[in-house]
Amino acid sequence: MSAININFPNGKVNQEYSIELKSVAEQFGIAELNFEGLEDLGLQYDEDEQQITGVPSLAGDHQIVMKYQLKDKQDGQPEFLSKEITLIINPDPKELWKKSIPTPENIAYYKPDSNKEFVKVETKITKKMLGLKQTKEARKDLVAASQRGRSHAIEGKPRDDDFALFFDEASEWYVMTVADGAGSAKYSRKGSEIACQTVIEVCKEQIAAKRAILEKAIRVLSKEQTQENRNAVGKTLYEIVGGAAFKAYKNIDAEVSKRAGENEQEAVAIKDYSTTLLIAICKKFDFGWFIGGFWVGDGGMGIYRKEPEYLKILGEPDGGEYAGQTRFLTMSEIMQAEEIYRRVRFDIVPDFTALILMTDGITDPKFETDANLNRIEKWHQLWRDLEGENEDRLKVDFTDDNEQAADQLLQWLDFWSKGNHDDRTIAILF
Amino acid sequence: MRRLPVYILIQTSGAMRGEPIEAIKVGLETMMASLRQDPFALESVWLSVTTFNRKPEQILPLTELENMQLPAIALPEAAGSHLGEALEFVCKKIDSEVQLSTPERKGDWMPLLFVMCDGRASDTLLFNKVIPVVKGKHFGKIVVCLVGNKVRTELVKLFANEVVNLETTDSATFRKFFEWVTVVVAEGNRSVGATSDISLPPPPPEINSII
Repeated sequence: MSAININFPNGKVNQEYSIELKSVAEQFGIAELNFEGLEDLGLQYDEDEQQITGVPSLAGDHQIVMKYQLKDKQDGQPEFLSKEITLIINPDPKELWKKSIPTPENIAYYKPDSNKEFVKVETKITKKMLGLKQTKEARKDLVAASQRGRSHAIEGKPRDDDFALFFDEASEWYVMTVADGAGSAKYSRKGSEIACQTVIEVCKEQIAAKRAILEKAIRVLSKEQTQENRNAVGKTLYEIVGGAAFKAYKNIDAEVSKRAGENEQEAVAIKDYSTTLLIAICKKFDFGWFIGGFWVGDGGMGIYRKEPEYLKILGEPDGGEYAGQTRFLTMSEIMQAEEIYRRVRFDIVPDFTALILMTDGITDPKFETDANLNRIEKWHQLWRDLEGENEDRLKVDFTDDNEQAADQLLQWLDFWSKGNHDDRTIAILF
Repeated sequence: MRRLPVYILIQTSGAMRGEPIEAIKVGLETMMASLRQDPFALESVWLSVTTFNRKPEQILPLTELENMQLPAIALPEAAGSHLGEALEFVCKKIDSEVQLSTPERKGDWMPLLFVMCDGRASDTLLFNKVIPVVKGKHFGKIVVCLVGNKVRTELVKLFANEVVNLETTDSATFRKFFEWVTVVVAEGNRSVGATSDISLPPPPPEINSII
């Protein structure tokens, strides 16, 4: 009697499973066939069709017994022979991911598991012609949301991402920043927080001090696009956003010393606070919008216009050969003048639909590759997705002054994407 | 999808005969069953199993955890432990199977390598030649598990980040070891970033750690 060698492919909970046994029966000369242990798993064997079908309901390595009768049954053999077969049923990852443990509030540098903000910039009314005529101008608003990833939630670990927004009513400059603390660094949640807070602080102060020079340089550049004029804008922008990044590094470094001083037993280093950083500052002029940015690490930052189509990515994501490799603000090689300058970008555009800053928790599932970040179709898709074209029909309403957008955006962040469960943070100027 | 490639290299001669190889098989099965309970591993782990004595043989090509079934591990009569050749073989597999980042494709996570052997290499010349190649492969982690009572530590220390010694080869010790390996694998894909090394949880006390 030849040994019956048979393997069942693995199944998955809540997913249709079927295996046909006609060919097996023929191959091994089996006259009759039956199974024990299938029903418990949510499967049935159909004798007429000679196949197992059903939707498995129980995950695990299951032993099922195949009872069979050979066509050329030898004398003295039992009526039915039996063989144990292992049937592996995988759990549904969606179910496994449902577990969510709140972050204990007593940990060092506790931060809430999610955050959201809306900065309403109201319609501006300008009086003209000695006050006889007035013009109304709707102004763009800022919205941001940040959600702890499922990979952290399942272990009760804190959110490492952060963001901050700011609008200066006096000068009409907008500042937005997002940061992604490294998953492997124990205090990166504080690193990202310090980075974001510092960016707002420094940009606020530097814009107040340097806006006259910067705005003049921008006006000059808008009239004549020469390298010299570009350099003039670049220089002041470098002082503002580059200065903010540098101060963020310094402030993180100071926190490391403080922590080390307070906890002598604990070894802390700046790499424990590793974080990426994306900064954008912008303002509307009569000739259009000026947008300046600084970017270190992964994620994405771009100026997107739906119609007429326009896309400008304000930098390049820092990636390595392998997944998860990137660069951080906290690396000493980044804090070199040339390296900082290289990461400063700007653009002048007539108008745009959205200026978007995101951490890799969003870019990985929505753009997948670095090349896709430069494809406008992917941005169109993201924008439609944000406007409700998604599985859960979750919609962010981007009408002017809609303060609900923050809540809507936070809900939208909960989207499902296989294998992508990192912290997600997005900031939008629209 | 980003994959976490996990390479398992098992010596099938000498020290492995008898109880150890049975315990390894049970250990691997238990490990896979627990990894399937971890959603991160379930969505990202890909496993490859290679056995070696005089010749290496990939008995399971890099396969998604979800679809994989552990093949039978045969124990041939052949003596000899060509560890150098086996490592070279795994490095070549990595070159052809592990995806690096390109603008058009996301790279895999850094691969992990687990080696179970007695620490001897009968192909010394090739072994010495292959060490720099292994070092240049950017493994997330290389863990060597020494099995048997006449193990050698000097050679494996040359390429492993962690060497553990299973002095007793009973199934309980193996179970502990594989529980630990499961944690290392499950941890593997969420800790890369700030440092080049992934953080490794300390091995359980039952296992005698050398490095």
